[in-house]
Amino acid sequence: MNIDFYIEADTVIHRLDGRTKILLFLFSFIVLVLFEDPLFILPLALLILLQSSLARAWVNIWRIRFLLIILTISSVIMWNVFASGETHLFWFVDLESLEYSLARTMVMLWMIISGMNLLSTTLNEELVLGMIKLGLPYRVGFAISTSLRMVPTISSNIYTISQAQRSRGLDLETGSIIERIKKYIPLLIPVFISTIRGTNVFGMALESKGFGARDDRTFYLKMEMEKRDFITLAFSIALMVFCLYINFLDFGNIDGLTKF
Amino acid sequence: MKEVISMWKKTRMIILVSLSAAIYAAFLIAFKGGIVIVPGITEVRPANVFPPVFGLLFGPAGAWGAAIGNLIGDIFGGSLGIGSIFGFFGNFFLGFVPYKMWGATFGLVKKDDMSMKMNSWQKILAFEIVALVASAACAIIISWYLDLAGIVPFAFLGVTITVNNFAAAVVLGPILLGLFYPRVKRWGLLWTDIMDKEEVAKGFAINVGSVLMTVGSLGGLIIGILVAVGAAGQQLYGFAGSSGQMSVWLAVLPFLIMILVSSFMLSGREQFTTEKEL
Repeated sequence: MNIDFYIEADTVIHRLDGRTKILLFLFSFIVLVLFEDPLFILPLALLILLQSSLARAWVNIWRIRFLLIILTISSVIMWNVFASGETHLFWFVDLESLEYSLARTMVMLWMIISGMNLLSTTLNEELVLGMIKLGLPYRVGFAISTSLRMVPTISSNIYTISQAQRSRGLDLETGSIIERIKKYIPLLIPVFISTIRGTNVFGMALESKGFGARDDRTFYLKMEMEKRDFITLAFSIALMVFCLYINFLDFGNIDGLTKF
Repeated sequence: MKEVISMWKKTRMIILVSLSAAIYAAFLIAFKGGIVIVPGITEVRPANVFPPVFGLLFGPAGAWGAAIGNLIGDIFGGSLGIGSIFGFFGNFFLGFVPYKMWGATFGLVKKDDMSMKMNSWQKILAFEIVALVASAACAIIISWYLDLAGIVPFAFLGVTITVNNFAAAVVLGPILLGLFYPRVKRWGLLWTDIMDKEEVAKGFAINVGSVLMTVGSLGGLIIGILVAVGAAGQQLYGFAGSSGQMSVWLAVLPFLIMILVSSFMLSGREQFTTEKEL
């Protein structure tokens, strides 16, 4: 079971500094939530898709297609329940609520795709170092980085242990949600024990190498902001300011929409 | 709150942050795309049993682990979004409240036996109380923010998150705690075995702090819901327009402040007792 999303490639997005990619990701969050009208979200969505294409991240987006489909269907239905409008179409769906549900679905999907672009082009080390360079204390960065490394290992352990339990007759596929949750209990204990067993050894190994001896530290990975990073950031900031300005002018809303 | 910062000086506590975050995230990811409740915001989360259990065992490391684990779960589960910001803080409190309140659970946990051995009905009840308060605290933090941002209504999300958190903890929590505690204790990985008493916040008026935390969490949830759905009718406190959101925002804010203040009042030092060998 592989849940590492990084794609080994030498694209224009891969070559950007970790900090630039993190900031691009954060900027995309800010601009996506500004508008209610799907037509205003569409150009931003296209830009994010362009980034996906440049980053060759489609492989990963395809990997989570079932999640995206489930979220799309449930989102379109649910947001119609949470909103209403003046132009009735059918059942509980109004034109305005349908537009709004499409917009919310797009926002959610493109946030996920934007996150996928970041993960597809950024190594864990680069991601954490980027956060440290942006002001995160390195001990916190180390904890995040270690967790990121441990998640695939634990997922793999869950898979191995579940296979072992299945071979002994444990049926994880059938039954109600409560029954299925109960069946996971025999998996929790070995996963927890096998993970925690190495904690003391890991601690000693870190301390023997001087972890935490100094408040500042150096890193094996070197990160430098280059011209392409500044150009990308300048374009992104300009776009964000433009979006904030047209949002300030009250564009991008749906007339006649009542939320909740 | 002192230990929340001072724990970062301890290598083993940092590893326990990673460990709790990774286990929580791995189980969150396993259930992503299962039963979606609010698309992109939450789904049925049996993994939510872990933060209260890890909070009690690993103290502040469990709290940070819950916050980071939720973020990693959002990243790898494909639901990283605007909700992830306050999801971080909400999940932090899901792990933070249990260990802070454990020694001040209205006399249910005796001073001479602060261990998490589930060997009496009082301790099981104490666990359920701290899990419920933590669930509600997590719920109102996330729901308040998402309502304020105009994304999901408070009443709906507040109830959903509380039930989602507490349902996982109510049955599985005491079982897992009973199974994990002896092993963690034997390996010397309890937070009270790793940290020094002096590194933990002294607190003040701890029992009052415990009451404030309970009132802040459960009271905030109840009052928020009443205001949101309309204590005097849907029209008066309806969600339509910005005034509806403002009423929820203002009604819940004092309770959030109460949670914050009680976090400084509660200690955790009372758990530093010499325990008989297992």
